[in-house]
Amino acid sequence: MTRTRLRRLGVPVVTVRHQAYGDDIGYRIDPSQARLPALDFTPAERAVLSLAADYWHGVTLGEDASHALIKAASGSAHAAAEALPFAALSTRLTDATAQLVEAIQARQEVAFEYASASSGTARRRVQPWRVRLSGGAEYLIGYDVDRDAPRTYRLSRVAGPVKAVGDQGAFDVPESIDASLMPSGTPGTATIAVRPEAAHALRARGRAAGEDGDWDLLDVDYTHLDALRDEVLALGGAARAVAPDALVAAVRSHARAALEVARG
Amino acid sequence: MADRTLGRLTRLLGIVHYLEIHGATPFTELADHFGVSERQVRADVETLWVSGLPGHQYDDLIDFDGFLFDQGIADLTNSQGVSQVSFSAREAAALMGALSALSAAGAAPAASASVMEKLRGAVGGVSVDVSASSPVRDEVRSVLEAGMVTGTAVILDYVDAQDRRTERTVEPHRLVVIDGAAYLECWCRRAEDHRTLRLDRIASAVPTTSEVTHPPVDTHGFSLTQRYAATVTLERAARWAVEDLPGVTIMADGDETVTATFGVANPGWTAGRLLAIAPHLVSVEPAALRTALADRARGVLAAQGD
Repeated sequence: MTRTRLRRLGVPVVTVRHQAYGDDIGYRIDPSQARLPALDFTPAERAVLSLAADYWHGVTLGEDASHALIKAASGSAHAAAEALPFAALSTRLTDATAQLVEAIQARQEVAFEYASASSGTARRRVQPWRVRLSGGAEYLIGYDVDRDAPRTYRLSRVAGPVKAVGDQGAFDVPESIDASLMPSGTPGTATIAVRPEAAHALRARGRAAGEDGDWDLLDVDYTHLDALRDEVLALGGAARAVAPDALVAAVRSHARAALEVARG
Repeated sequence: MADRTLGRLTRLLGIVHYLEIHGATPFTELADHFGVSERQVRADVETLWVSGLPGHQYDDLIDFDGFLFDQGIADLTNSQGVSQVSFSAREAAALMGALSALSAAGAAPAASASVMEKLRGAVGGVSVDVSASSPVRDEVRSVLEAGMVTGTAVILDYVDAQDRRTERTVEPHRLVVIDGAAYLECWCRRAEDHRTLRLDRIASAVPTTSEVTHPPVDTHGFSLTQRYAATVTLERAARWAVEDLPGVTIMADGDETVTATFGVANPGWTAGRLLAIAPHLVSVEPAALRTALADRARGVLAAQGD
């Protein structure tokens, strides 16, 4: 059984290196950490665990989740399975998360090909800090070694495998992470005009800022302007971007480009 | 790729761990408990019987009671100190990340809190966390859950995807988190059909004593049945934007563009996705999807005053 598979099984394996030469001389297992602590999950709690495992259906972390269910069963008393009126379905998760979680645990740098709409595909070397789930999508927050700055990456833009490179324990994960990295973007406040009785999700988040003819004005805080742009676009005319200018321009250019393509 | 060996090894350790705590157990109960066939449990116990510590002498082997084995009962007589191993970083991240996501969406079952507490006690923190999403009103949540438990209908004040406000009586079946957003699966008496309603669009929910007439369907209530296949060509740099479409196949056309083929279940939803990446689109087929895209774009431009 390889070291990687042992680690995936949950056995903490530490590579032992020769002090002077830096060669791997062997592996050490810490038995006190390896043993499953006494855990008895109630039938309702086990149903919650299978719901959590369903969340990762179809991606690599789903296998890990199903192994975790076996472990949860190992210490729990037998009882009839409970059905819960809850379910989870994800279509935007990626295989990259599993590798990243492992690299964060080992504090090991990763390398991957990353596509950005502005600058094309490039190889990135990153010290991974956290994986963040936001709106059903996954993001990596970490330190970009080549750019010498913290960055956020949307995992669906990672092309090909995530590879762990370099030594384990190569960096420390900061205790707290700057809010502007969560997930990327410069936070700000936008003004959106919405039709009466319309755009209730925006209304719930925003603050009333007067009226403009038939429209109600709202001030809406955002962390990611692109996400707000997509929300305005999705309202298909029930909302109008007023400010900032970058948002207005982005909404217009997207709609015009769509009309252009739709002419066929 | 599925790692069957790892799954089986986890179960083998699980069986030893379970027997250590609970004593002699019939194969049928183990099969049910670990979600495998009785035949598989028998094979697992036989494998464990010839497993043990390095040295592999008779004294180093895990041992079972042979008499009870013949009666279909697993009774561990020597575990050799073998036990289940704790959750790996990936396993803990998977379970705790998913539960945080369900909870952020406003659709985590009540028992999630105690599960999280137990997992946190076992493994500490994990490296996956979750952003808050659009809030679900607590009073809406509790009225819906009460309706699901008691099998009674609920009156909703609801804002639909076209942003129309309606009052409807529904029979609540299930809360589902799809891509980070929570939905109610229900039978809608107004539409006389199964419906999937976004939880954060329910402005209010009022209980009734009217009993449900339509039970939940077995399959997910949301429709992923495709109406037609779409073919979209876009700039290569925007490839990421279509990679997560359900059932998508992507072909590179050369250095500049890629072509994505996928099923369209809800043309309005797909048009919305395409609108968000419109500047990178080269062509969209079939004409029906182009029409849906153009309708949406015209609505946006009219609102912007163009």
